Amino acid sequence: MVREPDPGVSRRTRLLDRLLDRPLPAPPAALRRGPLRAGAFPSALRSARLTSQLGIALAVAFGICFGTGLISHLVQHPPGWFWWPARPAGLYRLTQGVHVATGLATVPLLGAKLWSVYPRLFAWPPARTLAHAAERLGIAALVAASLFLVVSGILNIARWYAPMPFFFTAGHYRVAWLAAGALLVHVGVQLPAVRQALRRRPAEPRETGPREPEPREPGPREPEPREPEPREPGRLTRRGLLAAVGGGAAVITVATAGQTVAPLGGLSVLAPRRPGTGPQGLPVNRTAAAAGVRALALDPGYRLTVEGPGGRVALDLAALQALPQHTVVLPIACVEGWSATATWTGVRLRDLVGLVGTDPDAAEADVESLQAAGRYRAATVPPPHTRDPLTLVALRLHGEALHLDHGYPARLIAPNRPGVLQTKWLSRITVRSAP
Amino acid sequence: MTAARRLLVAAGALVMGYAVVSALADPDVRPLGVLVFLVGVLAAHDAVLLPLAVGAGALIGRFVPAPDQATVRAAGLCSLAVAVVAVPLVLGYGRTADDPSVLPLPYGRGLAAVLGVIWATALAAIVVRRIRKRTERSSGAPAPPVDG
Repeated sequence: MVREPDPGVSRRTRLLDRLLDRPLPAPPAALRRGPLRAGAFPSALRSARLTSQLGIALAVAFGICFGTGLISHLVQHPPGWFWWPARPAGLYRLTQGVHVATGLATVPLLGAKLWSVYPRLFAWPPARTLAHAAERLGIAALVAASLFLVVSGILNIARWYAPMPFFFTAGHYRVAWLAAGALLVHVGVQLPAVRQALRRRPAEPRETGPREPEPREPGPREPEPREPEPREPGRLTRRGLLAAVGGGAAVITVATAGQTVAPLGGLSVLAPRRPGTGPQGLPVNRTAAAAGVRALALDPGYRLTVEGPGGRVALDLAALQALPQHTVVLPIACVEGWSATATWTGVRLRDLVGLVGTDPDAAEADVESLQAAGRYRAATVPPPHTRDPLTLVALRLHGEALHLDHGYPARLIAPNRPGVLQTKWLSRITVRSAP
Repeated sequence: MTAARRLLVAAGALVMGYAVVSALADPDVRPLGVLVFLVGVLAAHDAVLLPLAVGAGALIGRFVPAPDQATVRAAGLCSLAVAVVAVPLVLGYGRTADDPSVLPLPYGRGLAAVLGVIWATALAAIVVRRIRKRTERSSGAPAPPVDG
């Protein structure tokens, strides 16, 4: 299965290997105290098998979070090659709900994984070779990045930004790449160890299976205890621990998922949001006062300017109400993982695009808010959403005029789009023919 | 190392490099702040939270009757995980005066309720096991090999 490196492998690679694998001088043994002592961690529950199983589950959870997080990033900052559909209308609600729920469910998994390898933090000597030192630095990056992602995510959904000395969205995104890279390295390094740990089934005692000669492996591992199966009643077994991790993840999920899965609402006593709580029965992320638009939004001189290659119109609220009104049921899905379905009434964006002489089937629109500044003051509505008959400039919510905090006098509501891009207090729409 | 593993390691190193370079090029990222938080969470976890958890485990080994230890450890693990998620909500620093839809629930009570359910379940498991053991013993069934 494993061959010696091809004869073609350059001599330089082998020289590098030799350099990386040259033993480093060991530190004086007198420094080996406290947790660095041999046998400082007596729990027989730790095993390569346990660590491997937790690691695989964690890698899957990270993969889900990375994929869904990347989707959310690309939807908000679309590069030229990226395309995001308008349907299904609830797709973003699903991907972002999964992102946050998976991240929260990861908490017991990550905790148990780090506990299972904690003794390795105190391995002696701290660095056997340069390769070992590099691997340990990579592990430090992986652990720090993993903790960073989980902790910053939890702080974000609790909207507690003071402990984070950085802009959450950007930091969370970049560190996710760091974690992804460190995880790939980690998987590459540990693959044989995982394979061996999972190969050894307690049923078939095959101690001396074909073991790859691994010059880069970190030397002789601590003798792997055979599965310490439960002889003493009451001792936590590997299966017991895995069940507890799963139970913890399930409890967290049930306690929080009601922020997006409405039927769980009554059980979700730790949900940061309630889909039905807020003005007009809908949560609010940014109020009119916080956005500094109260006066402008309530000004009777309000106009929505729509400008395109074929003309320009300025519509007051009465003029907007005089246009054909449509009612749609669409979710508002926040990046923070909560979502709520609502009934919106207003003018189709594609009708407004037609008003300024542009083909609504091949157009995109820049929408701007009354806000003078702010990260989410303006957004682009790409062609699939501009064309979609579900995309409205909404004037009413659940049959009433929009609450000021929901974007009165007019707001955007489009299918399959994160809440931060559903621009409120619309002041201007600039239409372009789609390239 | 096989070619596939070399490839994984090399790809991972490249992705890590991309993370660092793109973070430095992103005007929204404050690299120093990110670095401080990375080191901070690592230190808080490895030097505070995990030693406390290991210490709690040792206390359980010392003071909880041996047959009940697994149940207590499992319940402790669940409680700690729930607490990590709940503490920022309970503290409630994210609340704002003008937006009552943010953190609308009494999270202290919610956390107490969840912990109550976890520990009630653990207690029920312990009681059921003890009763079962007692009936086994009184009905003359052979006792299990090791009896706590």
